[in-house]
Amino acid sequence: MGWFIVKRLTSLIPILFGISLITFILLHLTPGDPAIAYLRASHIPPTDEAVAALRVELGLDKPLYAQYVEWLGKAVQLDLGMSYLSKKSVWDEIMLHFFPTVQLTFASCILIVVISLPIGMISAIFKGKLVDQLSRIIAFVSVSMPAFWFGFLLIYFLSVKLDLFPVLGRGTFAHLVLPSLTLSFAYIGTYTRLLRASMLENLNEPFVMYARARGLRGRLIVSRHVLKKSLLPVLTGLGMSFGNMLSGVVIVETVFAWPGMGQLFVTSILNRDYPMIQGCLLFMGVIFVVCNLLVDIAYSFLDPRIRWEGEK
Amino acid sequence: MFLKKSQLVTSIVGLLVILTVFVAGCSNTTKDQENTSDKDKPKVLTFSWSGDIGDLNPHTYFPNQWFSQAMVYEPLVYYGEGGEIQPWLAESWDVSKDGKEYVFHLREDVKFSDGSPFNAAIVKKNFDTVLANAEQHEWMELINQIKSTEVVDESTFKLNLHKPYYPTLQELTYIRPLRFVGEGAFPDSQNTFEGLKSPIGTGPWVLSEYKENEEAIFTRNEQYWGTKPKVDKVVVKVIPDGESRVLAFEKKEIDLIFGNGVISQDSFQFLKDSGKYETKISEPTATRALLFNTNREAIKDIKLRSALQHAFNKQAVIDNIFYGNEKKADTLFAPMLPYTNISVNPYEYDVEKAKQLLDEAGWKQIKGKPFREKDGETLQLELLFISTDNIQKAIAEFIQGDFRKLGIDIKLTSQEEETFWTTAYQGDFDLLFTASWGVPFDPHSYLSAITKSSENGSPDYKALLGLPAKKEIDEKIKEVLLSTDEEKRKMLYEDILTTLHEQAVYLPISYQSNVAVYHKNISGINFLPQEYEVPFTSINVK
Repeated sequence: MGWFIVKRLTSLIPILFGISLITFILLHLTPGDPAIAYLRASHIPPTDEAVAALRVELGLDKPLYAQYVEWLGKAVQLDLGMSYLSKKSVWDEIMLHFFPTVQLTFASCILIVVISLPIGMISAIFKGKLVDQLSRIIAFVSVSMPAFWFGFLLIYFLSVKLDLFPVLGRGTFAHLVLPSLTLSFAYIGTYTRLLRASMLENLNEPFVMYARARGLRGRLIVSRHVLKKSLLPVLTGLGMSFGNMLSGVVIVETVFAWPGMGQLFVTSILNRDYPMIQGCLLFMGVIFVVCNLLVDIAYSFLDPRIRWEGEK
Repeated sequence: MFLKKSQLVTSIVGLLVILTVFVAGCSNTTKDQENTSDKDKPKVLTFSWSGDIGDLNPHTYFPNQWFSQAMVYEPLVYYGEGGEIQPWLAESWDVSKDGKEYVFHLREDVKFSDGSPFNAAIVKKNFDTVLANAEQHEWMELINQIKSTEVVDESTFKLNLHKPYYPTLQELTYIRPLRFVGEGAFPDSQNTFEGLKSPIGTGPWVLSEYKENEEAIFTRNEQYWGTKPKVDKVVVKVIPDGESRVLAFEKKEIDLIFGNGVISQDSFQFLKDSGKYETKISEPTATRALLFNTNREAIKDIKLRSALQHAFNKQAVIDNIFYGNEKKADTLFAPMLPYTNISVNPYEYDVEKAKQLLDEAGWKQIKGKPFREKDGETLQLELLFISTDNIQKAIAEFIQGDFRKLGIDIKLTSQEEETFWTTAYQGDFDLLFTASWGVPFDPHSYLSAITKSSENGSPDYKALLGLPAKKEIDEKIKEVLLSTDEEKRKMLYEDILTTLHEQAVYLPISYQSNVAVYHKNISGINFLPQEYEVPFTSINVK
């Protein structure tokens, strides 16, 4: 197992190198000049002299390969540079925005698990019954409703009208409810259906019939055997979604004024803040690889066959 | 069956209980918080802004915001109503006859928020650190004109200029970069451009708490020399989205919405119509206009430009897109600004006249064809706008539909903001949305920028190059900025603005305004002359 983790982590190096090179090339192919973007954000007319002075200050006057090599040299030493816009360290800015995102992601994941697992399970067991039909409707609504609209609806009814929650911002536990509910809602439909399908498949497996023949109680078969096996595809999906959420969810963050990674990333793209874009992408790359690795490790606990193969 | 019906009910009930506990637990938290604040609570005004306030340094730009810099730092002189220059940190001033020396007599009762004295020495130190980074402030002509700074005595400061630059006092009112930080704010390198030790100013507010990208809390400066603010604290919450801002306002999480473009026109109208809140609209702050690119073959012709001016139904745009909340603009600058009240005939909405001008320009309507043609070429004009700007989009679509009736094909090109500006600077457009810079930059700074010949200059410079009188206009603008004679200055401005109007290169649409929406327990909302200042000092909360 240890060797497996080391191998996977080593694969990060070429991945990150690839990401950085591709984004660097793409960034310089996109129209828009970071120097002009900064001047405009500062309400300064971008005259020739002002742009030239700023380009020198930002190092944009050097040839492209030199800019990349310089950036790479620093990145290897874990120095991601300074943001063109805020003039602060990219690493510090990422860390500042990452924690709120982690908070939101964990809360949303808990909601996804707590809500979609029971619904998925129940609708598989009562296939075709009213409760299954209802869960299907919920799933459709959840997948097709735009997050920003659902967010506004929640704010309007639960916050403005019923006064149960604060509208936006961070701080108390109550601030977390609406954004995490909005964020998890879209995933709940997906995971309910995923678990239902996977359980239905497993309920017809011979091991279930054998267990019943052995006289095991229905609840025990479902909870101890079927559910465990059916969770595998859900776990794969959840791992990806977790990575996705950790890299920031722009719409939910914007609606709820949640200062997370998504906002940081989009603002940096709109302002052509090259070091910040590069930094965010590298960081997201690491998160995705690590999330996938964690899913694989979790797999081996849920499914002993994978563990045995690994040990062989 | 693997589960019994009763077990199903149990699990559903269980799920509901978990959710209820979650919801109830959370809502109690808010209630508890509200209960803790009772009678003796300080007067707090909660405001919101779309971005972070930055490091609160008056000598630098983004991410610093104008409104927050103006809360903490003050100028030598203040921009009053109609552009009248008023004493502020300088009680009075003398200007030498040749217009090259300005002597400021400073107020003696002013202290920085850390208790340190405000005197000529600290004024000089602030000027000098700004001048040391002159290339960063190149846009501001005064910086280029300053020859030297002098401390005459404890409370007298002298500014020597290269040339008699008339808008000197006007530019000293700007929110940045010529405002003052205390000695304790200077970093070890003494170069404030690298950042401050802490934000120490003379203004009515002191930054007391700050959470990046979340909120900033300003407390009243008890040592303030001027009229003290009525509320104890101002909380500025970061809310990027306009619709969320409106919901937070309805929930009373914020007390005041203030600014230009901070909420959509629809939301403003909705809040106004609800009758539950107070709303106000300021006098014009800047002009929303279309810029014509005179380098393009079709637009080079003044007749076509005049035809477009007459063809545009401004009133319909104002009634339907702005719900009557913006005023119709007839000239590039609102007439209440300094030197801008010129006597010209506005281009009235007159479809027949527009058609006649188009015919005269050679663009003829051909039977069976929807658009006019000249020498076999269709009259197609490209209008460039920012894809995320809903107002520009709505106006663009209106123009497209309305001009079609006249046989003009308007091709709409929407671009993401940065790409939009790149295209604009390159001059790849026929028509472009633009806006004047607003008070206190209009008219002199705006006009000054359109004379700057540069690859990346303002889109106006390139767009106006097709005008035969361009060189003459530029020379007059340069002349007016250095003229010391008030009468001559008036004459020159009249001349410049009249030429621009007669050449029909700008199509002024409406005058933008600041809007204010606030709860009924808030009073003292007055618009200040500078667009970006928020009247926190006069606001009271009942």
